[in-house]
Amino acid sequence: MPQLKQIVVESPDDVGREAYERIAADVLQDLDLTKVIEHLHIYIDPEVPIFVAAGRLRHMPRAIRVSDFANVNIGEETIVLDIGDETYLAPLLQKLWVRYGKENVDQPDRFTIVLPAGVAGEEDLEHMAVADPSETLHKDVIYALQYIAPEGFKVRRQYIKDEKFYYVASEDTLPHDIVETAVKPLFEKMGVTL
Amino acid sequence: MTTLVPVTYRGGVYRHDEVMDLIDDLGGYVVQKHVMAQEVVLQSFVPRDDIDLIREIAKPLAGEVVEAPLVGTEIAVVSPSLEIHHLPHTACDIAEYLRRAGAKTNMVGLARGFGKRIANLNDEERDVINEHDLAVYILGNFEECIREKFPALRRGIQVPIVVTGAPDRETLVSIIDPPVEGYVGGIGRIMHRFKRPEELAKLDELVEEVSRTLDTRRDDLARDPLSIFPPRLMTILEEEIYEVTMLTHPTPVTVQMEGLRVKLPYDLYADDLRSLEVADGVMLEDVADVLPSRMRDYILIRIKPFSETKILV
Repeated sequence: MPQLKQIVVESPDDVGREAYERIAADVLQDLDLTKVIEHLHIYIDPEVPIFVAAGRLRHMPRAIRVSDFANVNIGEETIVLDIGDETYLAPLLQKLWVRYGKENVDQPDRFTIVLPAGVAGEEDLEHMAVADPSETLHKDVIYALQYIAPEGFKVRRQYIKDEKFYYVASEDTLPHDIVETAVKPLFEKMGVTL
Repeated sequence: MTTLVPVTYRGGVYRHDEVMDLIDDLGGYVVQKHVMAQEVVLQSFVPRDDIDLIREIAKPLAGEVVEAPLVGTEIAVVSPSLEIHHLPHTACDIAEYLRRAGAKTNMVGLARGFGKRIANLNDEERDVINEHDLAVYILGNFEECIREKFPALRRGIQVPIVVTGAPDRETLVSIIDPPVEGYVGGIGRIMHRFKRPEELAKLDELVEEVSRTLDTRRDDLARDPLSIFPPRLMTILEEEIYEVTMLTHPTPVTVQMEGLRVKLPYDLYADDLRSLEVADGVMLEDVADVLPSRMRDYILIRIKPFSETKILV
């Protein structure tokens, strides 16, 4: 199972650095992000004051499709969906209602959905994307960083795209070139170019 | 005169009323009673010589009596905010641990206590903290931040302060000027429960620091005693003011070292309290000030010292 490779915290204050190492580890563990984040590099200087975090995510989980959690049995008159895992049932129903109309989506029990055959393209039903876990994952990562950063650092700039993310925060206004001066060097230390 | 010592009695619900009667008969006071499922915790003051007697009587009931240095004190646990950054760990863990030592703790989450330059204390927070016997300030991880923000957070606070923070004790002592009454280093902002032995040891250190600070105040009080012992006044209030028994608060009357907080509306009850006869010919207003509390619409009673009233009830 992939694990977080490393958390690095740098700070001029040694006591604070150790404390933040522990905070970062605890928060990532609490939010179940240790498997998602590969590297996390934090620089924190209370005198400036500034908090910079940069890191890399593992490959994002792909979109969840119907075939991932249900069997699709296409019959002459009906299509029966046999649900294996209910986690994504709610978004699936939303999509089916749009496609087939609410009155045509029959749910005799929790694990079965019956649809009329021949109404809308059943061939691609199996491959229909139901949910994208990376959407909430981005929010979770930013939330985790907000949670790690000192609370008073309310002015912030954040970025998360593909596999890279950064989060800069301070109590004072951030200089416009903060990404070039503070974030890029952190990425360089990880061997990544922003 | 017998010396009353603060103790905690912990035992089962079964026949615990006998223990309460015993404490009463011995001339002690039960300040707080907690019933949790099958268990009862009594925070009380009992005569020093009679502790063994209580132990003996409580033995068949599987009850235990331990000294609890903080019984009869109300402590403010001041956290920079009530955000997820400071709660539940540190703030709640510390408040809970102090409660185990017998204190009544109130959590004070500041509206703008976070940050270094932007930290602030408003007048309501200041007044509420000043209504306590002691304030424990839970500060964070950086020396620099504590140095800069603490003067703003302590402005106008007259009660003794104990500061906790991640830097070690010596550093805290060196960065806080003028000095406060107590320091505990090594407790910063953490995101997990206090459960390791070294973390629990820190909490014990905090309890020790708090009780040491309060002991100095107790020594002062011994030299110039209060006109009436707060738990005694509490008992009188509970007997004389019927409405107190109707309150659903865990502590309808909270005992402090030098007064009481009565959880009745000030406007309706202040005059009744002032004219309450606490002893033959002695009204409550003769021995104490009855003031409006900044905490909701409660009443705060501050007992005057003997040197001022020349009355000892």
